[in-house]
Amino acid sequence: MSNLILEGKKGSRHLLMGNEAIARGALEAGVCVAAGYPGTPSSEIIETLSDASKERKLYVEWSVNEKVAMEVAAAASFAGLRSMCVMKQNGVNVASDFLLHLAYSGTRGGMVLVPCDDPEALSSANEGESRHFAKLVEIPLLEPGDFQEAKDMVKWAFELSEEIKSLVMLRSVTRLSHASGSVVFDELPEQDTTAHFSHSGAFIDPVEGPMTTLPVTWRHTQLQEKLQQAVSKFEESPFNTYTGPQTPELLIITSSACHLYSKEAIDLIGVKDRVGLLKLGTTWPLPPKLMQQYLIRADKILIVEEVISFLEDNVKILAAELASKIGIKTFFGKKNGAIPTAGELNPDLVVTAIAKILGINYEAMPQAYGNRAKALADLGAPGRDLTFCPGCPHRASFWTIHNVLQMDNREGFVCGDIGCYSLAMLPCGFGTLKTLHSMGSGAGLASGFGKLKMFGMDQPVVATVGDSTFFHAVLPAFINAVHNKSGFILIILDNSGTAMTGFQPHPGLQVDAKGDEAPHIDIVSVCEAIGAKVSVCDPFDIQHTQQTLFELLEDKEGVKVLVLKQICALSPEKKAKKMYEVEIDETVCLGENCGCNRMCTRVFKCPGLIWDKEKGVSTIDEVICAGCGVCASICPAGAINKKEVA
Amino acid sequence: MQQVFGPKELLEDVFQNDLCIGCGACVELCPYFKNYQGKTAQLFPCDLSQGRCYAYCPKVEVNLDELSNHFWGRPYDGSPLGNYRKVLASRAGKKIKETSYQAGGTVSAIIIYAFKKGLIEVAALTDREGLNPVARLVTSPDEVIKCSTSKFMASPTLSVINTGMREGYTRIGVVGTPCQLTAVAQMRLNPLEKQDFVDPVALAVGLFCNWALDTRQLMSLLSEKLDISAIQSMDIPPPPANMMVLKTDSGKVEIPLSEIKPLIPHTCFICPDMTSEWSDVSVGMFEGRPGWNTLLIRSQKGAELVEKACKDGFLETEEMPQENLNHLSRAAAAKKERALRTLIRRELINTDKRNQRCAVRIPPEVVQKILR
Repeated sequence: MSNLILEGKKGSRHLLMGNEAIARGALEAGVCVAAGYPGTPSSEIIETLSDASKERKLYVEWSVNEKVAMEVAAAASFAGLRSMCVMKQNGVNVASDFLLHLAYSGTRGGMVLVPCDDPEALSSANEGESRHFAKLVEIPLLEPGDFQEAKDMVKWAFELSEEIKSLVMLRSVTRLSHASGSVVFDELPEQDTTAHFSHSGAFIDPVEGPMTTLPVTWRHTQLQEKLQQAVSKFEESPFNTYTGPQTPELLIITSSACHLYSKEAIDLIGVKDRVGLLKLGTTWPLPPKLMQQYLIRADKILIVEEVISFLEDNVKILAAELASKIGIKTFFGKKNGAIPTAGELNPDLVVTAIAKILGINYEAMPQAYGNRAKALADLGAPGRDLTFCPGCPHRASFWTIHNVLQMDNREGFVCGDIGCYSLAMLPCGFGTLKTLHSMGSGAGLASGFGKLKMFGMDQPVVATVGDSTFFHAVLPAFINAVHNKSGFILIILDNSGTAMTGFQPHPGLQVDAKGDEAPHIDIVSVCEAIGAKVSVCDPFDIQHTQQTLFELLEDKEGVKVLVLKQICALSPEKKAKKMYEVEIDETVCLGENCGCNRMCTRVFKCPGLIWDKEKGVSTIDEVICAGCGVCASICPAGAINKKEVA
Repeated sequence: MQQVFGPKELLEDVFQNDLCIGCGACVELCPYFKNYQGKTAQLFPCDLSQGRCYAYCPKVEVNLDELSNHFWGRPYDGSPLGNYRKVLASRAGKKIKETSYQAGGTVSAIIIYAFKKGLIEVAALTDREGLNPVARLVTSPDEVIKCSTSKFMASPTLSVINTGMREGYTRIGVVGTPCQLTAVAQMRLNPLEKQDFVDPVALAVGLFCNWALDTRQLMSLLSEKLDISAIQSMDIPPPPANMMVLKTDSGKVEIPLSEIKPLIPHTCFICPDMTSEWSDVSVGMFEGRPGWNTLLIRSQKGAELVEKACKDGFLETEEMPQENLNHLSRAAAAKKERALRTLIRRELINTDKRNQRCAVRIPPEVVQKILR
């Protein structure tokens, strides 16, 4: 794919993922520096660019976290280069402190922030939105409405940023980032930019002076003037389009992937002649003249957007200001319940809203059909829980952590964090996690829980964090805990990569985003330097891990670190090589009499173990089994045998 | 008949009521019940409607009438010392080397003798790791002495009976406290009416017990006062000593009982049995005569074993003075009465409301008799 991204000629048409289209757009804009932190649905943008960096003059990095990514990109902008920072929606929260300051200080080389939001939290622990940050910190917001726009708008965003000397936000969502569509390429520019940071000019000189937020009110006023410049550009933007009759009964105002849902919905119920569709690409600040031109055409306005209202509020404010010119409107959307305020939208939901407003008798999915479809699904499709992969070190880790805390019998608990191991909230991880919030929060919560002994809390406290998460946001909480004499066990589930998002490297590894060798920061040494006792175990060695954890639980004082080190089962480094051939002795397997019924397939639940209904015994799925051999340690009957693969 | 429920009810009745003493009867029956530092926990839920875990547990639905009928062929009468044939003073005989056994060494002598005579193939005993009592399935007489010291802590000894049964042993000896031997008695009733059931217990040696101590709390108390790893033995000498005495590498350490007693698990206060009434023989201290034990002979098997052990020089017995017997009986009666009052107060005895389960069932007239 990477070759295609670079080699596609001007005018050629390609099927691209939204994220690839964004990356190509950045390349066409001549981006020089791109930085990000992995997070679904944003990761492919940096990945595509890092592949491209092997052939083009382009610096791409996986930063330790989103705030640092934004700072790295801002430095390039200050030195006159075009730069981009990429993150998922929560990343903007992490970066938000610098974001506010950067808005005030302004930028030089064009700088674009690309957050990819995840309505319905398909791969997230929240469905928070980044759009509101644009309004909060007063920077222009663009939202591509299809795949071509995803590419074209990036270039436009860079030009806008350079013109007004402000950071520009270009927001995507899962259904745009991860869906694919047709994109026509433009040409790639020559690369001859040099970097230089000018800082000797007057204090308030935006081009030659120092970069800072001071003097605050002056810079703030400047920022607001920049926004007004952006609005003038927005009035003429090619990304705001209208389709539909001259005077529609209903005007839909929408943006982003909701544009596609709305188009489909209008088509589905055949109301092309009655409904107008205003697709906005420039959603903050809204261009008033353009809005006036379309608001005046209809009395009924439906705003279609996902999660909490943003566009709706802004349109209503504008409509109030324009009331004398456009007349009184009736609004439909989140406020009146036409559009849900949580979760993703889809064409059916938009159809339902339109049908209700226009009084059309239309059932998006007839109930009888729905019931039949469900009955059919129940009949043939087995239940599929979210689960860890076969051979996943986390299953082994949480098996031990869960069992040790149960046996310890003091209602000990685990504060979880963000990564594949977040799944340990669910049965696949034996429901071991009892708190789960943002990156690094598990360690912070544990630091707090660990101080509650003086109020009589005698429950053991454990936090589990991943290796990438450790560097991202655990370090401050960990240092806080050591310094403030909190007491808990910090378990670092080190699977040697940012596994959940696709094995992006992190500072603990000897490789960088481009694939070049890089100095690695050793987690154990860092923890020891901070002053914690550190133990290291292989989670596949259940007995040793269990014993170590028991010992750590007895040690009541201070922060203890246990590094459970075992490379991810899917890691390219493992090359799908099995450590063990695993076999079940049918004569020994207790089957339904094991642990009140099939312990390994019902409780341990590794997908590599399957139930042979006819024989009434467990068996190994040779294709799926990763050969970790852990099931041989957990089988109570000793029916599972493992043999080292030569 | 004893009412048998499943693990769900066991959790409700015993774990959630804080009645578990950690005897180990439910451990090693399945992969889910585990004991750590004296406490039993369930790793994963199980929804069997009937389980041996519930049936064996000495803290739920113990039907004393049923046990008495099964073992002694007559109803439970609430007498202070339970059914017995004879009470003797005893100590280990000349054939047993005087090593590190505590008090008179009667228990070690009986188990070693039972091994030598082939009465038992293995013995479920209580060893220790550090100070922590752990269950040990001992396969030879040489290993017995290692398990001979008093622990004063609840221990999951019975788990190794389950292990032993699974491994196919049919002549298992066991040494246990009253709660443990109550569980053993229930195991021997074949409560789930399994077709292929064979009573695996060839010899049950009971220990006298007034209460045990919570392992974790005791460790925590002791670790505040001394280096736990230096402890060689612990003892609670008879009144009026009123102390726990710990022998350590650097001499004796005494801890007043007033500090120790708060560490008694509440579940000990519902136990009506001081002398392990469901044993072949029961053994305790002989108050006022150091180096000797009190030996209660209960079963025919116990009587024969003691007689032969004396003849072969493994055991030495003397008559028990009536005064001492009276004293023992009064102490046992007092424990029974206290326990019954607690059981009644906590509504844990003979509850007859529908669907309500209780800890112990004793015929009402016997309850009246015990309470006088």
